[in-house]
Amino acid sequence: MRRAFLNRVDRMIREEEDTVFFTVDIGMWTIRDILSVYPERAMNVGIYEDGMFGIAAGLAAGGMVPTIFGIQPYLIERTLEQIKLDFAYQRLGVNVVGTGAAVDYPKYGYSHYCAEDAGILKMIPEAELITPGTAKEFLRLYDQAYRDGRPSFFRVSDHPNKNHDIEVEFGKASIVQKGAKATVIAVSVLLDDVLEACEEEDVTVLYYTTLAPFDRDTLREVCGNGKMLVCEPHFSGVLDYDILQAMEGRNVQIRHVGFPREIFRNYGSYEDKLRHYHVNQEKIREELQQLLE
Amino acid sequence: MKEKLKQLRKRCLRLSYICQDGNLQSAFSCMEIIWCLYDGVMNWSPEQALDKNRDYFIVSKGQATLALYAVLIEKGMFSETDFDGMGSFQSRYCIQTDPTKFPEGGIENAAGSLGHGLPIAAGLAMAAKIKKRPSMVYVLAGDGEFCEGTMWEACLFAAGKKLDNLCVIIDDNHSVEAMIDMGDMRRKLESFGFDVFEAEGHQEEKLKEVFLNFAANGRPKAVIADTIRGYGSRTLTKEEIWFHKAPNAQELSMLCREVDEF
Repeated sequence: MRRAFLNRVDRMIREEEDTVFFTVDIGMWTIRDILSVYPERAMNVGIYEDGMFGIAAGLAAGGMVPTIFGIQPYLIERTLEQIKLDFAYQRLGVNVVGTGAAVDYPKYGYSHYCAEDAGILKMIPEAELITPGTAKEFLRLYDQAYRDGRPSFFRVSDHPNKNHDIEVEFGKASIVQKGAKATVIAVSVLLDDVLEACEEEDVTVLYYTTLAPFDRDTLREVCGNGKMLVCEPHFSGVLDYDILQAMEGRNVQIRHVGFPREIFRNYGSYEDKLRHYHVNQEKIREELQQLLE
Repeated sequence: MKEKLKQLRKRCLRLSYICQDGNLQSAFSCMEIIWCLYDGVMNWSPEQALDKNRDYFIVSKGQATLALYAVLIEKGMFSETDFDGMGSFQSRYCIQTDPTKFPEGGIENAAGSLGHGLPIAAGLAMAAKIKKRPSMVYVLAGDGEFCEGTMWEACLFAAGKKLDNLCVIIDDNHSVEAMIDMGDMRRKLESFGFDVFEAEGHQEEKLKEVFLNFAANGRPKAVIADTIRGYGSRTLTKEEIWFHKAPNAQELSMLCREVDEF
């Protein structure tokens, strides 16, 4: 997904004269050509996310389309006031692409983990949060959103879905399986596990790659009986507000698979973490059975 | 003090009275700076307020918005009566500026929180360079505001990207001294790669001379303007409580009288 993005950046800088790209000192090898040929629009700008976000806001106010690439916790948590004031509240279109989703840097510890990102961004009105499950999905969503004049945050994962590539649309949930007994919401890179776990089940699977704005209409339309299992690759429960708004006036029963809201003080591998925090197929099956009982 | 500068200060007082809020000491300290920029330096007029080639004025020290409104009324961007309900629930005019409420231009950024204006100004200056536009970007900062790390991050960027179309004016009204010893700002900014100028901040003609003589040499500009908090009113210069206080009717006439007599 990372490489697909950087190749897209290469093309964007070459072909679109009003675009600017800032990297926070990562990914330079892939885009080394544009860094040297277009130094005024493609730059390894330095390690100062707060100021850089303000500068990007100024570029957007001056008619440019900036895209920033960095590591998720520094892009989202260090810069919260810039996201709020400089981007969202002034309605300026800046794209932020973050690597290091949730626990994608498993040995770097909680300084590099960022399971908080979705919850934080969902609290900023008009900020867009886009979490593709594959490289192809990333490209589709980027192309649909990067010039929409809003702050758009893309989360790039190192552990994409391998078995499914969906023709996703920005701002829309995709119905990837139809059933009657419950609705399973699969977010981003959890689609493979959800679909395998639900293969034999009479349930609807809704796939979300845009978390903000959240497609409430599709959920309301397909979730007849209010029974839901929400599978999120970030802190659990982040989507509950939208789900309850979508289902207003109906009884709902929600179960969750996702990272628990606690401090991750462990290291190990990515797989170790999914196992420890029960963000896996086994847990999806277990929760689904309890929901269907 | 020139009659015009007295009128602008009295307008600030009236706006603060209507809004029942504001930072009058801070607005008074930068009155000459803002007026001088809009009156004889910037390529800007209400008719050009959306022109892509205009010069920009960005308020980084958010306490200065009363002074900006006073100047924009004087220049015909807004009318005095627009401000009758300033600060009321649906008003678009308040202590914080919100550019989304001004589709006709005039207000360039959301001034309120400190440390945001200078990075935005640097981005605007960079955009002008990329698009080969003649725009100069002026940004008004406070001396205390330079405690914010984003100010120095923007300085690093501005110098590194050779933004000689960016000018930061520091309204050095000696606020920071109550917080920390900032040391030698001139040397600090020079070491970051700025052309640094020092000027008496209440001498309009001297400020203008500095603004109109910048070299196109690849170095961003910094003007350290030595100012006095509350300059223009004896009470505002003396009484600390006026850092954040709005006048009542009696105080309004007393302060207006002081401005007339200054």
